[in-house]
This record gives sequence, structure tokens and C-alpha cells, in this order.
Amino acid sequence: MTVDLQGSGVWLALSAACIGTYICRAAGVKLSGHIHQDSEVFRWLSAVTYAMVAALTVRMILMPLGLLATVPVLLRVLICALSVAVMVSSPQRRLVPALLTGTLLMLAYGVWRTSP
Amino acid sequence: MTLNRFANRREAFWRGIRDALGAPVLVLFAGMVGFGAMGHTHGFDAWTMGLTSLLMFALPGQVVMLEMFISGSSLLAIGFAVTLTSTRFVTMVVTLFPQLHRRDRNPLLYVWVHMLAMTAWAVSMREFPAMAPKYRLNYFIGLALPCWLISPIGTVLGYFVAGWVPVAVTLGLVFINPLFFLLTFTDVKPWVNRMAIGLGCVLGPVFYVFDADSSLLLTGLVAGTLAYFIDRQWLRPQPTEVQG
Repeated sequence: MTVDLQGSGVWLALSAACIGTYICRAAGVKLSGHIHQDSEVFRWLSAVTYAMVAALTVRMILMPLGLLATVPVLLRVLICALSVAVMVSSPQRRLVPALLTGTLLMLAYGVWRTSP
Repeated sequence: MTLNRFANRREAFWRGIRDALGAPVLVLFAGMVGFGAMGHTHGFDAWTMGLTSLLMFALPGQVVMLEMFISGSSLLAIGFAVTLTSTRFVTMVVTLFPQLHRRDRNPLLYVWVHMLAMTAWAVSMREFPAMAPKYRLNYFIGLALPCWLISPIGTVLGYFVAGWVPVAVTLGLVFINPLFFLLTFTDVKPWVNRMAIGLGCVLGPVFYVFDADSSLLLTGLVAGTLAYFIDRQWLRPQPTEVQG
């Protein structure tokens, strides 16, 4: 690895990332002053945001970085499908049981994989 | 109607805190523990990791920053890529803050906005319609504050436990983030937004193959606009013609 992790580079990268992220938040506040909840612009922006969040979620599941990438993609999708099934099995939405289902299944796979 | 479900603003604030201290805080905590563990395995120091979570507080951007730094990208490229992944905040704020009471829409919002993350946004979007506008800001602060404060704690903790926790546990932890986002989608009601989610899921990976850095923004614009027009053209109840 050629990167100097102790040098000023990491702090510069961190500062740039923090400032860039905050600028996006502030821009949202600035713009929100001119937008009303019932307007067409609001409807359109809602759709854009949901699409962006959906794309991010799919990326984290199908094309993850790091540790999750070591789990077969079919298994990741299967666990997601099971969790969603638990979630929608009640009209009141079982968020915590669904989260537990997915997390514990993933943990079980990890245990099974590392066992000799 | 349940619009007057709070007696005063203080009660709305505490209700936010109570709603935070369940799935939202757990999810963020787990995600940040995963991020801290990741930093440890890549040789960063605990200070950098904790500060990133406190000052940036945007997990996807944080992960992108870490990965790009390791792969030796230039500072300019890192800053640009992270800012692109954070562009979702613009639309998240623009969709959330107009729902606040007019009196609360003042410069102080530039402070509160820092505590906004996808978790608090998803919960607020769901809860705001069920409360009067004057209680929404206090509810939001109560909801977002614990989420923000738990993040650096989770990060530093994850950093230090990474050495001795079995890989299976870390695996379960890093999976919580995407799973939570996926599950909240089943709660989205308006058809235009459901369609945007569906199209985003399909188009996201396609755009990712072409250009990873800008794919989120591009997917949002294309899929969201498409969903908006399909809804306006065919799904939305047409305004009834005024007779005679």
C-alpha cells in the first residue's frame, strides 16, 4: 500500500468529504424555503429521492464493498427476500422481527462458513 | 384525527426520543460499528474514524471515502465522489423541511440539518402526516439527536472490538444497514414513490456499470422523473370536469 495513513492526506480527505456533505445538507435547507408540500416540484423531488435511496440500497446488497462481498450474491438476495416476507406478513409491519431474521440468518451463515 | 396527539412541543420532543430508541438507533449503531470495524482492518486510527462519523454522519459517503482512500484515489476525486453520494441529502431535506411549521423554518435549520440521515428521514416522512406541523421540528430533533450521538460511539466501539469479535458477528452487523432501508420501502404508500423505488432498483445497477461515482444521482433523476410522469399521465385520479 502506497498511501500514507498517518500523514495529512487522510485529514484533507476527511475535511473535503465533511464539507462536501454539509454543503449538500445546507443546499437542501436553502432550496426548501421555496418549495411547498403540495406542489408538483415536491412530488417530483420525492420520487427522485426515493429512486436514489433505492439505488443505493440495491448497490449495498448486490455490489457491496468489503466483508459482505464474501457472501454469495444469491444468498444475500434470499435472506433479503425472507426478511421482507416477515415484514409484510402483518399489516402492522414487523420491523424488528424482520431485521432480526435477516441479521441472524447472515450471522448463522458466517458461523457455518467458519466452522471446520 | 390524531393531529393533536401532543399536549406541547416538549412532549413531541420526548416522543421523538422514544421512537429513536428502537430500530433507528439500533440500526445506526450497528452500521457504525461495522464502519469502525472496517477502519480497523484497513489500518486507520480510531480518532479519524470517530470524527468522520461525528462530522460527516453519512454512512454511504463514509464507506466510499474509506474505500477510495485505500485504493489511492486523489483528494479531489474523493471529495467529488463523496459529495455526489451526499446529493441525496438535498432532496431529502427539500422533501422533509417544507412540512415543518412556518415559524420553525428559520436559520436554525442549518444546525438541525446536520443530524439528518436516511434513518431519521424515513421515520419522519412516515410520522409527520400524523401530527400537527408545529410539533414536527421538536419530534424531528428528538428523533435525530440520539441517532447522531450514537454514531461516533458505535464507530469507536466497532474499531476496538473488531480485533476480537468473530467474523460471523461483523457480517451480521454490516448487513443491517441495507436490510433496514429495504424494509422501510414496504411502508411507502404513494404509488409514484413506489414506482420510483422499483425503477431505482432496476436502473441503479445498470448505471453503476457505466459510471459508479455519478450513478446514484443519475438513477435518481431518470427513475424518479420517469415514475413522476407515469403517475401524472396514467395513475393519478384526473380532476373531474366542471359541469355546465
